[in-house]
Amino acid sequence: MSAKFASIAAVLLALTASTALAQTKDTLTIDLPNDAATLDPHLQWNTDSYTIYRNIFDNLLTRDAKGEIVPQIAKSWKYLDDKTIEFQIRDDVTFQDGSKLTAEDVAFSINRIIDPKLKSPQLSQFDQIDKAEATSPTVVKMTTKSAYPALLAQLVKLSIVPKVYVEKVGDQEFNLKPLGSGPYKMTNWQKGVQTELEAYSSYWRTKPPFQHVVFRTVPDVSTRIADLKTGKADLIREVPPDQAESIKSDANSQVLSVPTERIGYLFINAQAGATKDVRVRQAIAYAIDRQGLVDALLEGYGKPVEVLGAEPVFGYTDKVKGYDYDLDKAKELVKEAGAEGATVEFLTSPAYSRATVEAIQQMVNEAGLNVTISSSDQATFLKRRQGDPANAGGLAFGAWSCACQDTDGVIFPLFRTGSIWAKYSNPKFDEAVDKARVILDQNERLKLYEQAYEVLRDDVPGIGLYQAYALYGANKKLHWTPTANEAMFVTDMSWQQ
Amino acid sequence: MNTAVLAFGNRLRRVPVSVIVVSIIFLAIVLLAILAPWVAPADPNKQTLLARLKPPGFEMRGVTYWLGTDDLGRDLLSRTIYGAGVSLSVAVLSVIVSTLVGVTLGMVAGWFRGRIEIVIMRLVDIMMSIPAILLAVLTVAVLGPGFLKLVLVLGLTRWPRYTRVAYAQTLQVANLPFIKASELAGAGAARILFHHILPNIAGPVLIVATAEFGLMILMEAGLSFLGLGIQPPSASWGSIMSVGRQYLERAWWIVAFPGACLFLLVFSVNVLGDWLRDEIDPRSRTR
Amino acid sequence: MLRYAVERLIQAIIAIFGVLTIVFVVMHLSGDPTLLLVPQDASAEMIAALRHQLGFDRPIWVQYLDYLQGLAHFDFGVSVVQRVPAIDIVLSRVPYTVMLAAGALVVAIGLGIPAGILMATKRGGWLERLLTAIVVTGQSVPTFLSGIVLIFVFGVTLRWLPTSGSGDFASLIMPSIALGAISMSTFARMTRISIIDELGKDYVRAGRARGLSLGAVVVRHVLRNASIPVITIAALEIGNLLAGAVIIETVFAWPGIGQLAIQSIQSRDFLVVQVIVLLISFVYVLTSVLADFVYALVDPRIRLVR
Repeated sequence: MSAKFASIAAVLLALTASTALAQTKDTLTIDLPNDAATLDPHLQWNTDSYTIYRNIFDNLLTRDAKGEIVPQIAKSWKYLDDKTIEFQIRDDVTFQDGSKLTAEDVAFSINRIIDPKLKSPQLSQFDQIDKAEATSPTVVKMTTKSAYPALLAQLVKLSIVPKVYVEKVGDQEFNLKPLGSGPYKMTNWQKGVQTELEAYSSYWRTKPPFQHVVFRTVPDVSTRIADLKTGKADLIREVPPDQAESIKSDANSQVLSVPTERIGYLFINAQAGATKDVRVRQAIAYAIDRQGLVDALLEGYGKPVEVLGAEPVFGYTDKVKGYDYDLDKAKELVKEAGAEGATVEFLTSPAYSRATVEAIQQMVNEAGLNVTISSSDQATFLKRRQGDPANAGGLAFGAWSCACQDTDGVIFPLFRTGSIWAKYSNPKFDEAVDKARVILDQNERLKLYEQAYEVLRDDVPGIGLYQAYALYGANKKLHWTPTANEAMFVTDMSWQQ
Repeated sequence: MNTAVLAFGNRLRRVPVSVIVVSIIFLAIVLLAILAPWVAPADPNKQTLLARLKPPGFEMRGVTYWLGTDDLGRDLLSRTIYGAGVSLSVAVLSVIVSTLVGVTLGMVAGWFRGRIEIVIMRLVDIMMSIPAILLAVLTVAVLGPGFLKLVLVLGLTRWPRYTRVAYAQTLQVANLPFIKASELAGAGAARILFHHILPNIAGPVLIVATAEFGLMILMEAGLSFLGLGIQPPSASWGSIMSVGRQYLERAWWIVAFPGACLFLLVFSVNVLGDWLRDEIDPRSRTR
Repeated sequence: MLRYAVERLIQAIIAIFGVLTIVFVVMHLSGDPTLLLVPQDASAEMIAALRHQLGFDRPIWVQYLDYLQGLAHFDFGVSVVQRVPAIDIVLSRVPYTVMLAAGALVVAIGLGIPAGILMATKRGGWLERLLTAIVVTGQSVPTFLSGIVLIFVFGVTLRWLPTSGSGDFASLIMPSIALGAISMSTFARMTRISIIDELGKDYVRAGRARGLSLGAVVVRHVLRNASIPVITIAALEIGNLLAGAVIIETVFAWPGIGQLAIQSIQSRDFLVVQVIVLLISFVYVLTSVLADFVYALVDPRIRLVR
């Protein structure tokens, strides 16, 4: 009786062990905070959808680890004139159903995303494109409405979809059953639960490292961490810095971290309220102990910055200094401006680190102001923050990344007159960033951005606080080097041997 | 005067031990809540970034953090004490709002009958068809969160329960001879409603109110936990636990102490409420 | 009786309609999803253009009539966030909430009714006191707290149960317990009180006089009679369970409609929210109408009074 029991137990054990082993070897499980909104790459612009579909589709261009724009589907390109550009398309790429990717598909993808009938939220990124046509199976000619130096940077965000398939099944079906040319094809999408991908063996660029990939939707951070520790997940994203310790001390897990282009910053309303006075804004800048914030709240996973920028972002300068932590100076300035006890509304939502908001509140209160926190949900927050200056609050905290590694994507939308984010206007600043947007000479651009940062330093419509580090929790056996642009390409990952 | 209420006094002498113990706990919490500014050792909102997530008994610069600190270095003991005030005041105020609105509407529906009755009772159906949490999320989306709005949301989601009881009771009482007599004598509707009917339906209404009180405490905690109730930096047990949840391994005390207090409070309210309900009207025992 | 039924049904339809309208208005007052959909470098013109394409710049009554028109054809609209029919999104998540509610009911009834029976039949003993304490405890612990503690103890520390996921039976255990705890108390109480009421009745004394043991009387007669109010309570508890499910689903990452509702409200995905509200209010009204019918069958006074 006991021998029979022992042998059954042995078989069961072997089965579970082998399936566990098999599972570890060929399936990679990644926990994400949200499900993809859509897997059709043209219908949304959010990180979680992008993380998943970017492994299903290829883009026209991409960035390398250093942030330089490099070819992907497009082999090379040349400008025929200011408004016309020609792309040479690779001829060795196939979609996951075996059909060949041609210039027709590229032209189709571009025309599809700029078609108002599609109602793509990404339209604003491509609206400078007039049209695209395939002049041969491997050549695409694209025309823009006017000279547009940022075109290539925007095309990095364009995924190539299969013309024949999309036209055959229609947009809605394509959204549910996407088909791309990327390393993984989607096999099953349980909305709200998980997305399962399978390696596409004929992928042109490289052999996909895992046979299966599963992206699970786990909104709660403590649950994601619990999943990592129990081995349910091999990789988790969005790890708060003070959870890093708990992951590091786990025998089966490791913390992966990299400095990114994301900047923690404080917005200060220069057009309404007590902060209209530049002395009050300067006082706020003096009142904030950036190093203290980084040490206490980020536990070293961050670096204080002097400007609203970071090293991986082109245009960053270390020649402009910020405001040092000087509480006495801050109090003095507040008194001088007659703003003691003045109410300053700090707008926030659950999307932003509550601890950081509260810490900043206390720091600014020590200078003599009266900061009150107004928390709402993200939709209401954006409505206020992007609306009328009188209703946009006095302060707001955020962590900005343009996913473009260029200062044009940071300070232009944040501070240029007329932008929905800017509650500030200075013609000198506008001039500098407008020019830097259209000049191609890199050195000229650097000089212009230095000027722009100097204006920002004097006017203080906002402060750069710190450069954020991306933090991931991973299985100890996972080999992956995260990049500054926070991309998650499964093809960059592998099991350690 | 209602005979039941008189008999209540007589029964006070036969109070079980468990009820006495629980009353002491409840009173202690109420006292702590009221005396918070004097009893709490530190400012509940004072952050000390260097003292984050420290365990109970931690001492720094001469200050002892008896229950430890939270993720911004604030004294957990002080926050827990102030949190008691938040839980109790939200619950009391929202019960008052619900009672005022609900009982008035119920009496009006039961007394005047006809179209007003239909409108009010249909409104009751509508309100009871939306789960309170969803209504709270929706309201917060429009109005934004905050103490007063929370009281309003909770008060306005629960009034239908009072209306139903007040309505049913008013229907029964309205047919009693002495009510008919005052009507014939020329008494106005307001006088009849508030002077005659109200005292006679007070028993069942009180029963609902005591049951709702405990529920309101839990709902406030739940909403604050979801981030829809009391906003930072104000301390509510629910919001403290919402933060502490992430640090369960590293700083279990942030969830443990407010959680224990919340449990004790609701437990004592429930036991007390049960006993009170039994005493007021044994016929409508719900336990 | 038929007239009462028809009246009740009409009132139910009005109630659902009312809920729909209130939710529609409240949601639209809070803004629209356009700002959440666009990339952060979008200009004010592009945002206005997208808002126009999606139809959110039309006056609210126009959007309302449009929506009603769709409803008349059973078209619940296409989610602007997920670009698939709203009804499909909701229906794909309903099974999860149903599973959760069923699991919680199993816990509540499976533990609550036996507890109630014991509390009623063994009055005054230590068992009754112990069970009462457990029942009141179940009612006093906030669902989110029990959820967190369960995950921490059984999921992370002991590793007996999975920390997340919704695919298998094991992952249903903890959420069901956390959600069922409060309902268990309600069932225990109702069962106890209804059995105590029955035990005082003549037929029980008659049965005991004939020599039947207390246990036999309870099983053979009392339970059947006591079950009517309990069934009514069960119908109403489903409503409470749905409400509690919202928090539980958030804590356990359970992909049911509670979690979907909160996410959709926060992402201003109006059409999904409306389908969920329609569905929930339909269930609420249905259970309340059923409960009313049972009461009316049992107590004719209620019918007459109305």
